[in-house]
Amino acid sequence: MESMLVRRSDDGAIRKAAGGLTLEWRADGSLWAMRGDEERAVSVRRAFPWTEPTRHLSLRDADEEEFALVKDPAELDARSRAALERALAVAGFVFEVTRVLEIDEEVEIRRWRVETRQGPRTFQTRLDDWPRTLPHGGLLIRDLAGDLYHLGAPGQLDRHSRDLLWAFVD
Amino acid sequence: MSTQQQLDDHIIERYTAQPTRLPLELRREIEHAWHGAPIQLYALADLDQSLVLAETWFALGPRHIAVAKRDSEGWDVRSIERASIEAVREAPGLSANTLTILGAPGEPALALLRYTHRQRRAFENIRFVLEEQVQGHTRELADGEADRLYAESVARPIRDAQALVSGRQTAVIRRLLGYLKPYRRDLTLGMAAATVITLVSLIPPYLAGYLIDRVVRPAQAGTLSLGRAGTIAALAVAAMAAVYLVKQAAAYVRLRLMAILGEWVARDLRDQLYEHIQRLSLAFFSRKRTGSLITRVSADTDRLWEFLAFGIVDVSLSLVQLLGLGTVLLSLDWRLGLVMTLPIPVFCWVIYRHGENISRLFIRAWRKWSRVTDVLSDTIPGIRVVKAFNQEDREIARFGERNADVTAEFNRIHASWTTFWPLLVLGVHAMTITVWLFAVPRLLGTGPQLPVGTFVSFLLYTTMFLAPIDVIGQMARTINRATTSAHRVFEVLDTEPEIREVAEPVRLEPVHGRVTFEHVTFGYDGVRQVLRGVSFDVAPGELIGLVGPSGGGKTTIVNLIARFYDVSGGAIRIDGVDLRQLDTGHYRRQIGMVLQDPYLFHGTVVENIRYGLPEAPLSDVVRAAQAANAHDFITKLQHGYDTVVGERGHTLSGGERQRVSIARAILHDPRILILDEATSSVDTETEREIQQALERLVAGRTVFAIAHRLSTLRKASRLFVIEDGRLIEHGTHAELLARPEGTYRRLYDLQVQLA
Repeated sequence: MESMLVRRSDDGAIRKAAGGLTLEWRADGSLWAMRGDEERAVSVRRAFPWTEPTRHLSLRDADEEEFALVKDPAELDARSRAALERALAVAGFVFEVTRVLEIDEEVEIRRWRVETRQGPRTFQTRLDDWPRTLPHGGLLIRDLAGDLYHLGAPGQLDRHSRDLLWAFVD
Repeated sequence: MSTQQQLDDHIIERYTAQPTRLPLELRREIEHAWHGAPIQLYALADLDQSLVLAETWFALGPRHIAVAKRDSEGWDVRSIERASIEAVREAPGLSANTLTILGAPGEPALALLRYTHRQRRAFENIRFVLEEQVQGHTRELADGEADRLYAESVARPIRDAQALVSGRQTAVIRRLLGYLKPYRRDLTLGMAAATVITLVSLIPPYLAGYLIDRVVRPAQAGTLSLGRAGTIAALAVAAMAAVYLVKQAAAYVRLRLMAILGEWVARDLRDQLYEHIQRLSLAFFSRKRTGSLITRVSADTDRLWEFLAFGIVDVSLSLVQLLGLGTVLLSLDWRLGLVMTLPIPVFCWVIYRHGENISRLFIRAWRKWSRVTDVLSDTIPGIRVVKAFNQEDREIARFGERNADVTAEFNRIHASWTTFWPLLVLGVHAMTITVWLFAVPRLLGTGPQLPVGTFVSFLLYTTMFLAPIDVIGQMARTINRATTSAHRVFEVLDTEPEIREVAEPVRLEPVHGRVTFEHVTFGYDGVRQVLRGVSFDVAPGELIGLVGPSGGGKTTIVNLIARFYDVSGGAIRIDGVDLRQLDTGHYRRQIGMVLQDPYLFHGTVVENIRYGLPEAPLSDVVRAAQAANAHDFITKLQHGYDTVVGERGHTLSGGERQRVSIARAILHDPRILILDEATSSVDTETEREIQQALERLVAGRTVFAIAHRLSTLRKASRLFVIEDGRLIEHGTHAELLARPEGTYRRLYDLQVQLA
């Protein structure tokens, strides 16, 4: 098992411990990570959200300290893996754009009106903030508030969307 | 309702498609459930548990919180007593955040809310209050602020990016034209000259037709004597010469007057803009990027000059010229006139569409251009890293690839316009050919009569069509560009300074330097507090060391003393007078600052030392430099005190710049002095020299010194330990060391261990 537990000892120094890591959702609505006699409520951060979204997952406690680094969820038991996947769905949530309805420019900002899998959405970007091309294709747009919009395959959108996106896609 | 809140409401309505307020009926329902207690803060949880966009409201009152979900029958409201909350946890995600409100350990969560980053600021306000409560601190919130705080938190990212969202294009142009008022006379003359140019341009083709029909052909036919024909022709040619002279004279007047007038307006705008920028509070500068502000003063005003000097006249006179041409052509021959005038709207539309298409091409090219400049701005400042890792070839390849990419885009733009314009001119020629097709049979005697001269005039007029069509076709783009620049300029001009003078400000003469904090609270936004009830009294001449962990509030304290911001609660008194009652300019002249990274302006060393007192005698400058341990190194420079430093000037080391800034502070002779990490970034020897200089500087003044190296503060009269926005310990170095469990003792021991 490659998952590593990074444990904080009493003097604050970090040491690594081997052993089984298990995960579960509890009634308090939090994901709990357990190893040996230590357990903590954690949240999940992807170390490589776009390059390798399903591996190298950092489990962090309320103080943002890393409790464990899961290199590959396949190495967890089935129950823990299911718990982790549920947490990943929330942690990795971004809007999935299915149609682009309008892109308009105003002073300093660009206005986008889109349809997403989660519902219709209007957002704004700075004029000089360009969509980012992701390692495995697709586009990622970050709006002024910091929300992310993913276009998995811009070339497969409807024609109107493709026309509007033309200036933003290589 | 304040103007700010109106703007925030407008932003939410226009840009976010979410409610501008908590629904009124829901507010009533929640407050009813709370027995009339008011909602003090609220936020919208815009995602449900399955991460679909939804509408769930989260409200906070003095003793309760409430979660309200919209269902088919209205609102499902659940109230929870705040006293039952034992923990609050937020899990941030890429775009979905989760706030969990917890009660007793092991019990189900009291509430679990999911929301996007757009709502996160509003949720943070509530989370902050609840966390304070959990930690045992009371946080009193003012009633009636909930709507404002919600609107501000949602609208702020958009407002920071674009403050003048409510400006309509016509209103902006009207306001811009208002700047022409002082130059009415020149504007009238310039417009009159431009009108003359337009009108006299119509005369030569008419004269050509007149000469052919009324002089040449009658003379050839023998119905007009050669002598009389010669006289008339000479007069006509003379008239034509006069027309051209008048036209060029008018062109001279127009170009000269309008260009100069445009410059005056741009100058006025730059002056007004710069003066306003100087008066704005620090908060404004932390929101806006320096480059963006510089662009507004330079490039935007320059673009407005172009619009005012030429754009307005070109657009308005092109309309007049097209109308004039259409009228003349229709009056000369209405059939041929229709052939020429009917396609004009089509041409304007085609040019407009071409402009739109070119804009799209430019966006693409601009995006790729930014990838080229990204490489430059990465690798030129980071050239040492590039070389250290032997990555020159890779960077050359990366640049080459992007450069080729952007060149392809520019060539695409060139392919577009170089195809379009010949085609457009071909279209105009097609109109001329059509005119010929209609005219030739008539010239040969078939159909209604068409005099040859009239036809020649007609042909000459057709050559004048293209220019005004081009201007009108591009009118939308010209106006858009100008209003965009005007928007950016007016946005700054309309920003109100957050520090305001009272009607009759007090001047302390002299300032003794007593500084009193009375329960001072401060937050950069309405809810989260950076300082929480800080109180102290500092006597004139005391040296106070501010110590504590980073982010604890030390810099905020000195920023408040300098009145860069006003307190949110409590008061700061200088010699017993509330700081907000003082004449800010006069008061700041009594304040000196030596910062961690001293800023020297482009100019000579002497100009930098005399920055606060430009008239100070040179002997005083030398004395100040000597006291700052700067005189020695300055006189070793080739040009001594006259050495040009700062950007593009002689490069001084960090320690040298610091000593020049200390000399500047010594010469300024402030009553209250702020030292913010003045010696943190220099070597030990330089630190010793700077310490000596500082010891001379602090004598006889009230000093607030921030330092992480606690050893530098041993001579302080008292030390204030600031942590988490509170003054947690104070006393002399020895007194604080004597507290074995104290924070200061712990910090000091840690530094001794590391040394």
